[in-house]
Amino acid sequence: MAIECLVLGAGQEVGKSCVVVTIGGKRIMFDCGMHMGYHDCNRYPDFARILAAAPETTDFTSAISCVIITHFHLDHIGALPYFTEVCGYHGPIYMTYPTKALAPLMLEDYRKVMVDQRGEEEQYSYEDILRCMKKVIPVDLKQTIQVNRDLVIRAYYAGHVLGAAMVYAKVGDAAMVYTGDYNMTPDRHLGAAQIERLKLDLLITESTYAKTIRDSKHAREREFLKAVHKCVSEGGKVLIPTFALGRAQELCILLDDYWERMNLKIPIYFSAGLTIQANMYYKMLIGWTSQKIKDSYTVQNPFDFKHVCHFERSFINDPGPCVLFATPGMISGGFSLEVFKRWATSDKNLVTLPGYCVAGTIGHKLMSGKPTRIDIDKDTHVDVRCQIHQLSFSPHTDSKGIMDLTEFLSPNHVILVHGEKPQMAFLKDRIESELGMSCYYPANNETVSIPTTQNMKISATEKFITNCAALQARDSLQKSDLISSIHLSGVNEDERLAEGILLMEKSKAPKILCEDEFLKLLGTDRHSVQFEPLLPSRIEEAEAAIVDDLTSE
Amino acid sequence: MDGSLASSDPGPSFAKPPGSSGDSGPCASRSSGPGPEVEVRALVSMAGGLYPLARAEALRGLAAVVEKVGTSGGAVECCYGCAVELLRDEDQSIRLAAVRLIGLCAEKFAGREEVSGIGNGDQMDLIFLQLSSTARDMCMQVRIEAFNGLAKMQRVSEGVLLQSLSKKVIRTDTGSGSICKANKLPPKLIFPCAAGIFAHGIEDEFYQVRIAACKTLGALAKFSGQYAQKALDLLMDMMNDDTEAVRLQTLQTLFNMATYGYLSVQEKHMHMFLATLIDANAIVRNAARKILGLVNLPKLQMFRSALDGLITSLEKNPEEQDIYSILFSIGKNHGSFSANVAKHLAKEISTAPNGELILDKHRIQALLIVSISAPVSADKHKKLDIPSVIFSHAIPLLGRISSALGEDIIKDLSYLCHPSGMPFAEKGLMSGEGGRSEFWSVETMRGTHALIEKTRKETNCSDEVLIMGSMRLMLETVEETWAMRESCGIEEIRTILRTCKEEVKLIQLENSYAIGPTSLDILLEKLDTYVRRMKCCYTGLNRELEVQVLELVLLANLFRLSKFGVCSKLMLDKLHWIINQLDGLCADGSCEFSDFSNTVKQTFDANVIDGTLVVDICNFLKIFRLKPAKDFGMLNAASAVLQVLGNNSENPLPYICGLPVGVSFDISLSNISGHDRIWIRMNSGQSIQHAFLELSCFEGNDEVKSCSTVIPFYATPLACSFVLRVCLVIECPSGSICTHYEEHGGPRDSVVQLCDELNVYLVSTDTECKN
Repeated sequence: MAIECLVLGAGQEVGKSCVVVTIGGKRIMFDCGMHMGYHDCNRYPDFARILAAAPETTDFTSAISCVIITHFHLDHIGALPYFTEVCGYHGPIYMTYPTKALAPLMLEDYRKVMVDQRGEEEQYSYEDILRCMKKVIPVDLKQTIQVNRDLVIRAYYAGHVLGAAMVYAKVGDAAMVYTGDYNMTPDRHLGAAQIERLKLDLLITESTYAKTIRDSKHAREREFLKAVHKCVSEGGKVLIPTFALGRAQELCILLDDYWERMNLKIPIYFSAGLTIQANMYYKMLIGWTSQKIKDSYTVQNPFDFKHVCHFERSFINDPGPCVLFATPGMISGGFSLEVFKRWATSDKNLVTLPGYCVAGTIGHKLMSGKPTRIDIDKDTHVDVRCQIHQLSFSPHTDSKGIMDLTEFLSPNHVILVHGEKPQMAFLKDRIESELGMSCYYPANNETVSIPTTQNMKISATEKFITNCAALQARDSLQKSDLISSIHLSGVNEDERLAEGILLMEKSKAPKILCEDEFLKLLGTDRHSVQFEPLLPSRIEEAEAAIVDDLTSE
Repeated sequence: MDGSLASSDPGPSFAKPPGSSGDSGPCASRSSGPGPEVEVRALVSMAGGLYPLARAEALRGLAAVVEKVGTSGGAVECCYGCAVELLRDEDQSIRLAAVRLIGLCAEKFAGREEVSGIGNGDQMDLIFLQLSSTARDMCMQVRIEAFNGLAKMQRVSEGVLLQSLSKKVIRTDTGSGSICKANKLPPKLIFPCAAGIFAHGIEDEFYQVRIAACKTLGALAKFSGQYAQKALDLLMDMMNDDTEAVRLQTLQTLFNMATYGYLSVQEKHMHMFLATLIDANAIVRNAARKILGLVNLPKLQMFRSALDGLITSLEKNPEEQDIYSILFSIGKNHGSFSANVAKHLAKEISTAPNGELILDKHRIQALLIVSISAPVSADKHKKLDIPSVIFSHAIPLLGRISSALGEDIIKDLSYLCHPSGMPFAEKGLMSGEGGRSEFWSVETMRGTHALIEKTRKETNCSDEVLIMGSMRLMLETVEETWAMRESCGIEEIRTILRTCKEEVKLIQLENSYAIGPTSLDILLEKLDTYVRRMKCCYTGLNRELEVQVLELVLLANLFRLSKFGVCSKLMLDKLHWIINQLDGLCADGSCEFSDFSNTVKQTFDANVIDGTLVVDICNFLKIFRLKPAKDFGMLNAASAVLQVLGNNSENPLPYICGLPVGVSFDISLSNISGHDRIWIRMNSGQSIQHAFLELSCFEGNDEVKSCSTVIPFYATPLACSFVLRVCLVIECPSGSICTHYEEHGGPRDSVVQLCDELNVYLVSTDTECKN
């Protein structure tokens, strides 16, 4: 038996994660994402290849046993409504509770941007999203789910974002883990990935930071807080453009905590809309956050930020310092752009940018060098005098974390996805040399086949077992002699060997039996062949060797 | 490979990697008898069993055996081998038990090395790496146990230690490298498993793990200076931890490192220290201070920033008096820096406009303490010139740092007082030895003497006048009372007459020297006080009321005049001043002179001959009519609140007998304007001391001002304890007319008490005194 692994997306790239794994005839689709960089048919994984790989069937529902979504980011879930509503997959879809709750927000938000702002053709409607979400079966962490007679899946905590999960899947003896995106170091509101030691044939892991080893987050947090504190204490305003989910909450907890400790009274604002709604979900889904938050929420819900107030549009021009969280994250438009236009002109103000900005956005322009003037469109431009602080809080694990997880799980094979090719090659070498596992990083639409271990049930005859027991008893008698001579060295080396003959017959269960029984079964007598040992050797060499041995003793 | 290990080392016994069959090593278990061997054998075979719970229990059993047996013996090796085998078990409780067992074995090995004196560095490094590889386990308890085990390690090589701090794999030929080369490790351990375990540990999701990691970081600091320095960087990050318990553990770790001298603070760490000094949590602040009291700061810049941090902390939390002790020990640790501070401070004091006020500031106090610590520092052999002005200013603060000085207090005091040129301290100490109870500072004594002398003289002079005056006054009072019969009830008049009678008796009985306050005196004084209070303690009087109050003042003075009968120059001046003020108030015609004041004014203008007034005062009193005021407007009463934080009879302030003691007051004044003169009056027994309050030091507006200030009380008695009665008084302006003794250093004018007297409890730190 083998595991067939067809990479439909995120092979040697980041985006449209989608891996279809076939274990023992059961086909599982892990993630169903879209690529944000493409606006053509390359946006979605090439689903047709699934049918091509499954010649026995013509529709997706019978070809695929289940779809499993690890978390709500669009590059992991973006193509799901398309796959279910347009391609017509009607089988089970599994995702965690938070993912199910937050995914419609993300999907609808993106659909709106796509249709309303870019004026693109609608790939799926809002109703499609709702219909799609109705098919979803929510799962809890460590809940074992019997998808069908053979296939068992189980979700583990992955950090990364609220509700992110790593998925363990097992068919018969073949088992694998698909990590999705994960984070091995905890942050303020999410814990670190957590999984048990499992016997695995295959591990499919993300490798966003295949080569980078990040230093401690403390230094980055400190720098960020210092920059913000300095700015507000000099009367400036801080604009933090963020996405509504994840980073906004992370930074807000950080600031709220710092405000509390430093006893600052300067207001922190959250712009309206998605963020408020997202905060509400975070408050409800406390069980999926970090230990610290779980510990403290009975006293005070950490998402009830003490120092955060609601922002009114009229506050933009108010004098005095403040901190404002505004969407979207890369200042590509919307409210954060509006605020940026007002605030960027003063050198007292500060704009903190996320670690990564898509080319073409204002965030990207600000990150590349220090521009003094930014053209927003043909007619308007902004004189940029404000300070700029870049802040790379990434919820992905680094190279060290990937190695740690791989070492902990110790699978037989590793497949890297969700990363860039050169870095993946580097990581592959490390995994192969340091951990001694075979490692692959297939490109999109490539298939990797992995052999699996297979356990066999063998019955043993009564005589064989009695024989073994007798052998052991004799052993332990010898051992007791050893004890009397006060010798403990052999204790750790109890290798109980038993000899027998494995008999595999057609249409019968394999069994193990003794020599005598076997002879009886065959109905023949014992033949014995004797050998005379003849060893060619040179006496001089042998002598030398003995002398060496003696000296070394 | 086992054989080579055995043969290369003469040590008594070795760890056997699992699966090896070497039995050539001499297992020295002869001393421990057959007991543990049987147990070990049974448990080891159970540990290889099928069932996880049984395996875990077997490991726990082995741990119990290891704890029981001595350091020698092969049992430890067996247990260790068994634990290593199960270190990567699927079941977390087994991993936990295995890690715990390895930790115990490591302790035994270390103990054995200590006994035999033969170190096996490689073995220790190996165990360190094995434990490290479990520090990234997914199970929280295993991580905690791994860090706890690591904390007990002895003699770990520097390379391995440094690797444990850095996530990046350090490729060196020493340390872990040698282990890899020696090829003694199972393949899993060649992978640099120690890499960055602490970097991960301090970021762990569970604060329990962070605490364990923090402890271990500190515990291992003794093995390598380079490691200690890098570990400090991590510990600094931990001071920003969001869990208080972790921050406290970090400070505890730093404190331990500082105590053992492994802590070398660099400039980049300073801001973190300074941030913890002003932490919202008092325990954190306290711990941070303790560390600062121990560390060695290599640069003057850092020293100064540490001082600034402490001063800021002191300003924010003035009740934390132990800051002074810390300042003293910091100063003591950095003698030459302190001397530098002292020099600057002396300059500042000499250029300050008023030498006395400077003590009010926390900054100056702090710097004073630091300055006086220089001579007791370790740098004693260097010549450290501490300007004597410092000592004279620092003496009142000594009580606070007495805990830092400890038993050497007297010795330290002697050095303090010699250069300061202050006479009283030595005398004080001498008299303390003599056991006399009378103990005043010479300065105060001198002052008191002068006062008494002066009083006596004056009394002599005024004796006769007084007696005559009194007699006359009696008669006049009788007369007056007669005049008053119209308005007052007969009862009152009778009382007054009786008083007069008694008074006459009194004058007859005793001689003039013993004139006590008569009831009339008391009445007059009372009237005076009330009128003064009306005049001084209310702001926002409208013009009309002001005139009325002034008239009352005039009336009161006239009463007094009528009492004595004689008109001193002083009295006349005073009257003139009041009339002038009235004049000024009515000049613009908004108010009218009453008949009374008009008459008085005219009489005065006309009848003053050579500074004496020849007129019948009673006439004035007759025409006085009080017009009831209708409109009071917005009256604001001046008042004050005086507090000494944390002082009560249970918690007295420390002082040193005979030396001045600084008492820090929290004062808040309401409705006191900037040109009012406020004094603080302190008295204990017979000594009264006034201190002027500089209102410019107060914060706040005209309505409420507040300030916390330290005021030295000089005349501390030689007693185990005493109560200082303190109150705030406001000076009532009466032109330039001096009614009080200016030499005393108190207010020039008459005063009105602004608040009730406050008791401040002080207790001597001097044990001799108590005996």
